Amino acid sequence: MKLIFALLQQMSVFLVIAYLFTKSPAFRPLTGETLRVRHKVLLYFVFSAFSILGTYFGLPVQDAIANTRAIGAVLAGLIGGPLLGTAVGLTGGLHRYTLGGFTAFSCGVSTTVEGLVGGLAHLYLLRKGKSEQVFSPALALGITFLAEAMQMLIILLLSRPFASALALVEVIALPMMLANAAGAALFISIMRDQKSMYDKVGAIFSGKALKIAERTLGILVQGFNQKTAEAMARIIHDETGVGAVGITDREKILAFIGAGADHHCPGTPISAEITRRAIRENRVFYADGVREHFTCPLSATCPLDSVLLVPLHVDNEVVGTIMLFEPKHKLFLNLNKTLGEGIANLLSAQLLRSRYEMQKSLLVQSELKLIRAQVNPHFLFNALNTIIAILRKDADRARELLLHLSNFFRKNLKRSCDLATLEEELDHVNSYLKIEKARFEDRLQVETAVDPTLLPLKIPIFTLQPLIENAIKHGVSGLLGQGVVRLSARQAGDEVVIDVEDNAGAFREEAGRDGLGMAMVDKRIKNLCGNRYGLTVTCAPQELTRVTVTLPAEGVAP
Amino acid sequence: MIRALIVDDELHAREELAALLRDVGGCEIVAACANAVEAIKLINRQRPDVLFLDVQMPVLGGFELLGMIDQEIMPHVVFVTAFDEYALKAFEEKTLDYLLKPVERGRLEKTFDKLQGLLNRGEPPFYAAPPIVRIPCGGGSRVKLINPREVEHVRSDLSGVHIVLPQGECYTELTLRVLEERTALVRCHRQYLVNADHIDEIHLLEHGLAEIRTRAGHLLPVSRRYLKSLKDSFGF
Repeated sequence: MKLIFALLQQMSVFLVIAYLFTKSPAFRPLTGETLRVRHKVLLYFVFSAFSILGTYFGLPVQDAIANTRAIGAVLAGLIGGPLLGTAVGLTGGLHRYTLGGFTAFSCGVSTTVEGLVGGLAHLYLLRKGKSEQVFSPALALGITFLAEAMQMLIILLLSRPFASALALVEVIALPMMLANAAGAALFISIMRDQKSMYDKVGAIFSGKALKIAERTLGILVQGFNQKTAEAMARIIHDETGVGAVGITDREKILAFIGAGADHHCPGTPISAEITRRAIRENRVFYADGVREHFTCPLSATCPLDSVLLVPLHVDNEVVGTIMLFEPKHKLFLNLNKTLGEGIANLLSAQLLRSRYEMQKSLLVQSELKLIRAQVNPHFLFNALNTIIAILRKDADRARELLLHLSNFFRKNLKRSCDLATLEEELDHVNSYLKIEKARFEDRLQVETAVDPTLLPLKIPIFTLQPLIENAIKHGVSGLLGQGVVRLSARQAGDEVVIDVEDNAGAFREEAGRDGLGMAMVDKRIKNLCGNRYGLTVTCAPQELTRVTVTLPAEGVAP
Repeated sequence: MIRALIVDDELHAREELAALLRDVGGCEIVAACANAVEAIKLINRQRPDVLFLDVQMPVLGGFELLGMIDQEIMPHVVFVTAFDEYALKAFEEKTLDYLLKPVERGRLEKTFDKLQGLLNRGEPPFYAAPPIVRIPCGGGSRVKLINPREVEHVRSDLSGVHIVLPQGECYTELTLRVLEERTALVRCHRQYLVNADHIDEIHLLEHGLAEIRTRAGHLLPVSRRYLKSLKDSFGF
């Protein structure tokens, strides 16, 4: 009984050291998810030290040492795997061996085995996908208890004379098993607490970063200017709680929020040399306010003393900077430094996205222009020829056709926005069809079946016209007999389905101009509505070509 | 009077051109039709002096049509098109003239003067025509285009010219002479052309006659006149 207390007492000293360890930087690697080789080497030294200390603090009993050496070996195995466990066990064991006594050899072997046992437990948990249980105190308790029981067996097996070994084991078995198990459990629980504290700090940090990301998302898409920069700076100032936040482009201050805002005015050129250098040299500057100070070039009474200055990039090119300041009496938190650099990355990514969006919309604009330019000269001259012919026989009809032609061209030229209602699209297409119908007369028959409730639906402009034009140009006009073009629009579940059909069945995959027209229609719908929408083509040669446009039932949001 | 044929797939375009031609005068419109197949038939029957030909037509275009007209009865050709920046140069080289739709009366008069000159000099028109790669068969709204390589033989009789394939036969407006000149089919008889690739054997008969058996088992006569050239084409 006395021995139990003695060992527990000794263990307490041990735990104090363990506690100090968890507060030291050496503990850091354990807070991560995976251990690198470098960290394992560090852990080897730490746990070997614990193991050796356990022997030193031990109590001499019958020419042997009652000790807490096992804790270091078992925990090293448990946390770092069989290799680390065996290595620590071997080190602790060798050390014990050099101290001599009739159990020197058996203790040396058993400590190594204990490290291995811890390692095997680690492997087992890993295989089972329960690696988080490595830090479970109950488990550490059980494993260490088991390992110590094994040590007793090994002493009995290897130590001679057997009688002395048996006598020794009778005295030390229970105290050592209990003390080591309890020590390992407490040690691991200290580590676990410390680890979860790190996690919590990490969570607060990530929370802040995510909140900034969420609030700023989409602001920069509208461009990088004084207005958007100010909104960004305000959010960052709110969320980080730093003294002041500034954002610049390459030449001037775009926004400044917080202390010193009275003389750091948006719109004025960058005055601080440090900022100009950061832009020129494309690097992060940090003046911590202790060794290095921020000196305001504008005002001697400027309260700002420390600064973190991070360049903003788009495609490796510096487009501006973001600055976080703290006033003289306040320490620049390490957390805010990391956060600041993260925010700069975030803003850079958003700037890249905004540039991409801009280019994409430019592309759409130029594509629309191309579709307009695509108005087929054949169509125009044939239309005029037809009208001239009809003029000889029926002036009223000729007048009507001229009005359709004018409506068609006006619609082609005028519409500058991306969206139109189905009704407007049908009107555009109708003028086109009226003229083609006059041109082909009996050879062209047009059938339309449009659900009238769909007329106000917003769809991408120039969706129907290229399809109808293809149906006539490549379909009906190649037929000797009667050509039919069918246009239908209906709702099907949460989709609107528009079909353009002809009875020629002459569709070919073309990379030419007309293929391009169809591809553009498809691409614009996918851009605006998502990839499940767009065009599909079915073709039964000599019989039918059907181009199906699928759109969301609610149309396209403007 | 110049005898003219108008070929255009659009009704109004035909009518407009006919009206203009009447305005200009000196010309008789013998017929107007909507596609190339009908045009071949009408050219063979009516022998017009001039053809006003649309470039873009269903199934067979204007250029292809040119290669299907018998050189003996080849009319002067005026192409009429709405817009074709690439083909315009080709028109100038290959044909008498071209007109752009809508056609101006003044422009048409100039074309007419040119035509009158050519007709007065009696120069027969010649247009370099490409080989025929598809033979139009049938008529009305159902025209089949047949690759000459698939044709086994061609037979002409009182009812017209028949394209015979291993699996059946059909009627064409093209003449034997055009097919002989513009395809790889060879003449074996006044009324027959044969595809050498489909010949199974040539059986020599008395009096310098012969008989061809095709792979599909058809028997074709070979006349004395063509036996030698037929032999030559096989190298014996």
